[in-house]
Amino acid sequence: MPAATQLKRTDQGSVRIDPADAILVVDGITKRFTTPDGVLTAVDNVSLTVAPGEFLGVIGPSGCGKSTLFNVIGGLMDGYEGRVSVAGETVSGPHRSIGMVFQEESTFPWRSVIDNVAFPLEIAGLSKAERYDKARHFVDLVGLDGFERRYPAELSGGMRQRVSMARTLASEPKILLMDEPFAALDEQTRLLLGDKVLQIQQQLQQTTLIITHNITEAVQLSDRILVMTYRPGKVKRIVDIDLPRPRTSEIVSSEAFGRYVAQIWSDLREEASRGMRDDESRKLQAGEKP
Amino acid sequence: MAALTKTRAFPAFVGIFALVAAITLIELLIRVGVINRFIVPLPSQIAMSFERVIVEEGIPERFWLTLREAFWATVLLTVFGVGIGVLLHRIRTLRLATETWVAAMASAPTVLMYPLFLVIFGRSANTIIMMGFVAGLAPVILKTVEGLAGTRRVLIDVGRSFKLTPWQLYWKILFPAALPSIFVGIKLGMIFALINIVGVEFLINFGGLGQLINELAERYDLAGTYAAICFVILVSVLFFMFTERVEQWLRPVN
Amino acid sequence: MAETGQLTHAPVGLPTLSRVTLLRIAIIVAILTIWEATAASGLLFRDVVPSLLVIGRAVANLLVENDFYWHLGVTAGEVGTGLAIGGLAGLVVGIALGANRFLSQAFESYLYYLGPTPKIIFFPVMIMWFGVGPGSKVAMGTISCFFPIALSVAAGMRQIDEVLIRVGRSFRANTWQMVTKIYLPAMRAPIVNGVRLGLGVAIIGTLLAETKLSNRGVGFLIINSYSTFNMPRMYSLLIVVFVLAIGANVLVSRWGNLEAVKGR
Repeated sequence: MPAATQLKRTDQGSVRIDPADAILVVDGITKRFTTPDGVLTAVDNVSLTVAPGEFLGVIGPSGCGKSTLFNVIGGLMDGYEGRVSVAGETVSGPHRSIGMVFQEESTFPWRSVIDNVAFPLEIAGLSKAERYDKARHFVDLVGLDGFERRYPAELSGGMRQRVSMARTLASEPKILLMDEPFAALDEQTRLLLGDKVLQIQQQLQQTTLIITHNITEAVQLSDRILVMTYRPGKVKRIVDIDLPRPRTSEIVSSEAFGRYVAQIWSDLREEASRGMRDDESRKLQAGEKP
Repeated sequence: MAALTKTRAFPAFVGIFALVAAITLIELLIRVGVINRFIVPLPSQIAMSFERVIVEEGIPERFWLTLREAFWATVLLTVFGVGIGVLLHRIRTLRLATETWVAAMASAPTVLMYPLFLVIFGRSANTIIMMGFVAGLAPVILKTVEGLAGTRRVLIDVGRSFKLTPWQLYWKILFPAALPSIFVGIKLGMIFALINIVGVEFLINFGGLGQLINELAERYDLAGTYAAICFVILVSVLFFMFTERVEQWLRPVN
Repeated sequence: MAETGQLTHAPVGLPTLSRVTLLRIAIIVAILTIWEATAASGLLFRDVVPSLLVIGRAVANLLVENDFYWHLGVTAGEVGTGLAIGGLAGLVVGIALGANRFLSQAFESYLYYLGPTPKIIFFPVMIMWFGVGPGSKVAMGTISCFFPIALSVAAGMRQIDEVLIRVGRSFRANTWQMVTKIYLPAMRAPIVNGVRLGLGVAIIGTLLAETKLSNRGVGFLIINSYSTFNMPRMYSLLIVVFVLAIGANVLVSRWGNLEAVKGR
């Protein structure tokens, strides 16, 4: 029976994690971009902590800087204020303890499934036998056993995302960072893959941070949810998801689930409509059709 | 009947039939005397000289000669073309400076330099190989650069997230991603090279198949000349089909 | 999303040359220097690499020679005629193949597979049919450019927006009107591309024919300088031909871009 770290509750009922216990500390991240229209603040003083084994969901409207945050934490972006640290070490570039799963199609089309998954092990210098052995374990974990020799072109979109996930998991990162990994998939596939992810996360006790715009998905998967505001992206609220673990996709029909979704939606709706108005007025100014 | 015209086989059949009909018509017109048989030999005669030409003029040896020249030209344009392409991709300023020059070279009439190459390399296979190389180099460079530059951003990000060194990034991600484009470039290069190789063989009267046509023409062996031309067309078509097959075979992987 | 960039301002009054331009100049200078060094050192057979000065003088001499312009005119005439005949034939055949699916399936593969054959090998036949004079050269240019133009036009026909064709038919336009008022205007880009390619191969075909068997034209001048081992003259001829060929290519491209802008 997997158990998350004991989460201390504050007076307001929201959860705070002692930075000493946290495995990922994001401290005061502010990122600005210079565009032809002036300086744009994508992310404004965002802080969060993630406990070992925890599943944190980050949700926000389009334009809230989620992807910027993803790239900053993952070490793919620099030029920001603030600090990111993993198990005490400051992140300044891609970190071996952070594994990233991207939103876009990212399997290597020229490699078979097993070769894709074995990629990080190949980089680490493992022998062929060793890395195939390990890779096979992760291919099984995501439920693609039997497909080792296939090529991505022969697989469905959902299967390809599983390959990407297995590849990242094979590098055994302390923290799994996922940016809208299921964005391109249909609702039913998303729910089933969500099941898979829950199962894996619970089995591996994998600390996971998922960025999404899908409320159902966030509530289904997370222990806590961070709601972000529209640009400039700030932390609006942290919601404690007190649903039982282990979970499956059946949870979506429970009453508690519905309440959480409603609660988060009311926060999001405000931000999302601000985003829409902003977008429309910008387009009007630019002379485009809204 | 209408349904018949919609099938794939029928139009192809009509095409072949039309060709055969045209040849038969020419045969008739020559026999009747409408077409001068000293300008256009009888198709039947041409067909009969095929065997003679193949045996007496040593078609197999000539074929191998031309093939060897094409092979070496291909090796050169692959090595230098891909190498220069990678170099141009790595050094952005160099690429910006020279890309238009390379594109211009692709459309320049390089084959006209054959007298110059004759002086430098003499009347030898080297002249022919170099002419093929020069003709086919530009497309390989251009396609290599295009392939490398066109690698999807997310694949590079995956590499960066796994902390790949620049060398690893090139070898394990950029290069494999660019391979389909590179092969298209090599295919184009090979075609240009072969065209120029056979052409120069004809022009300098040295080498394999191209030289044969020249020789037969100078001997006023009408039927033989036509037969040799047909043979070269056949080789060229087969070669082209072969490169298409290779390209198709490589594509499903992507 | 753009990163913050700093604009560097050059001191006022100095022309700023971009790094690209500087590199280009550097490359050209390097090549010329290596050439001159090779020429002076006598490493290669003396006359193969003449000094730049000698080449320069040869080019100058060439450009003031009346004879040269006469030969150039002959070649230009042959290329132009070949392009006109081959282009027109290519256009007609291309439209026919593009418009009619059956014809395309029956015959287009012949063009497709005959395209990449070296047309110069047909030259002996052309001589037999058209004699040793300009006729055979024009014929070479014609068959050279016919194939790429026909294929380009056929492909272009198939890419025309269906709607436009239906509009023409609904107004009961006859064939001639369809061609001039719908097909041709809609196919500006593929036609220009085809002409560009066709011009290139027509030039090559015609010039090669002239080097093989002729007593006039630029090709003849080139092979003549070879047989008299007048290397500086050969270089100057090649330089002029290359500049003209690339220049013609650029001009056609520019014209094509203008057309494209109009078409929008």
